[in-house]
Amino acid sequence: MLSARSVIGTTLAELGEDYDNLWVLTPDIGATLVEFRDKYPERFVDVGLAEQACVGVAAGLAYDGNIPVVSGMLPFLSMRALEQVRSDVCYPNLPVKIIGTHGGLVGNGGSTHYAVEDLALMCALTNMTVTSIGDPLMVGEVIRQSMTMQGPIYIRLAVGKKDKVLYEPGEHEIRIGKGIIARQGTDATIFTHGTVVAQALDAAAELAKDGHSVRVVDMFTLKPIDEELIAQCAAETGGRFVIVEDHLAYGGLASRVADVVADRGIHLTAFERLGIPQVYAGFGEDEELRDKHGYGLAATIAATQRVIAAA
Amino acid sequence: MQNTENPHTVEELENLAFELRSKLLHLCGTYEGAVHIGGDLSSADILTALFHHGLHVDPTDIANPTRDRFLLSKGHAAVCMYIAMSMRGFFSYDGIVDTYGQLDSAYGMHPCKVQLPGVEASTGSLGHGLPLAVGMALSARGRGESHRVVTLMGDGETGEGSVWEAAMAANSYELGNLVAFIDRNRQLMTSFDEERVFLEPYTDKWAAFGWNVVHIDGHDMGALVQAIDALPASDSRKPTVVVCETVKGKGVDFMERNLAWHAGSLGAADLDRAMAALQASREKESV
Repeated sequence: MLSARSVIGTTLAELGEDYDNLWVLTPDIGATLVEFRDKYPERFVDVGLAEQACVGVAAGLAYDGNIPVVSGMLPFLSMRALEQVRSDVCYPNLPVKIIGTHGGLVGNGGSTHYAVEDLALMCALTNMTVTSIGDPLMVGEVIRQSMTMQGPIYIRLAVGKKDKVLYEPGEHEIRIGKGIIARQGTDATIFTHGTVVAQALDAAAELAKDGHSVRVVDMFTLKPIDEELIAQCAAETGGRFVIVEDHLAYGGLASRVADVVADRGIHLTAFERLGIPQVYAGFGEDEELRDKHGYGLAATIAATQRVIAAA
Repeated sequence: MQNTENPHTVEELENLAFELRSKLLHLCGTYEGAVHIGGDLSSADILTALFHHGLHVDPTDIANPTRDRFLLSKGHAAVCMYIAMSMRGFFSYDGIVDTYGQLDSAYGMHPCKVQLPGVEASTGSLGHGLPLAVGMALSARGRGESHRVVTLMGDGETGEGSVWEAAMAANSYELGNLVAFIDRNRQLMTSFDEERVFLEPYTDKWAAFGWNVVHIDGHDMGALVQAIDALPASDSRKPTVVVCETVKGKGVDFMERNLAWHAGSLGAADLDRAMAALQASREKESV
């Protein structure tokens, strides 16, 4: 099955040919990277369980004109190595790409293994571009586009088990910094990112049965955020917004959208945010955890009904 | 790894180190804020030996791919590095003294690659230089280049876990083109390190991590030159650490091994006193 995770390896192995300065680094997370490792062993670096050194080494490579990709589990890359990401990579604006899994309540590893604060942390960093992707084909496209970027980028994935191809190749223009209207609608907009896009599309399909026309926006770039699209959706869907995400409800996409709304003085009729509350979430399968913590399919449908009904 | 254009004798290098210390004190007396003078003075001989003897660098061609890379991991000794570099011709000393720490100056408390492209990396937070150096050494290896990557760390800094992560990586990747100098002044900011944090047996630790260990007096210019000249070839398979025994505040008696002088500023009277102490120390050593 095509998963976002497997696409990392195939895409990097492909790009290794075009870019002889592309390096791949990992702190002992490499199953998906074997294609690159086998093809370019001299540009593959596994430092073992040492996230801080891994990001620092990547920065050292980038200072010397290389394009390093660090791949690993995001809870550790985004938090244990946060200072290296901030001071070694973002401060000198080096083209280091951080790509990883376990964004959100996924993988049933418990709270040590869920990256749920990562988008808030990464969006806070000057020079960092921040993305969250659920569609495997998009992962390849974003990695390819990122190769010519000057500064750093963070690419967040879930775990790959339940990844769905959402868009046919060529169906949407995929451009870093631009949101995708995954489904058209006029009554309300659901903004989301990552694997939750599939859930939002299911919610919109369900709501259509009751005659509701719900737009779904895949805001896969959280920073820089697509301000124009937010303004456009406010104008075209009655100022009715639902934001759903597999991240803390505060600090992620909902906060990014709220900032744009406040800064630009956009008039909204209703605004609801669904995401992880300030709890350590515990064990369970992805959907069970989303339901338990109030941002699953049923909650998304209910929230959308409420914003549509709002006066 | 040699300053071949303008080779210096040990005595000339000692004179340059004295000049570096004098300029450091002068800046410390001119700038109103605090300068990390203690750790600057302990690093002064090492930085003189590197910039005037050891490093193959060209101040007129700072992006030359064959240059040795130098990273100041103990970024708080930035002033000492700026001045050592100015004496090699990278920057103007007056430019440093006249603008240090001021708004929009390229010269501040910790080196910034964006504002001052002549330095190799932005550093300051401790424990970051060695991982960066490992990346640069890997890059050199990948391109088949024979330059060295050299970093200077403080011994207190090696309390950071990231140093040992990088030490393991350097050993695993057999980076003989990587050299770490350690300013072993045995002081942290608030304590003497063998009182609170036990780093000993220090050279054994590095040897256990697979490094080639050289242990010298970091204020003995002859020993520094010898250690640099005896470095293994850059295509060898073991990284080298040069543990330099030093004295924080070296050369100014009232600052030596004095916790009050981790960082500080000098008024006019203090500056005269410090200059006199530096001169006295030099005369004592030359006897």
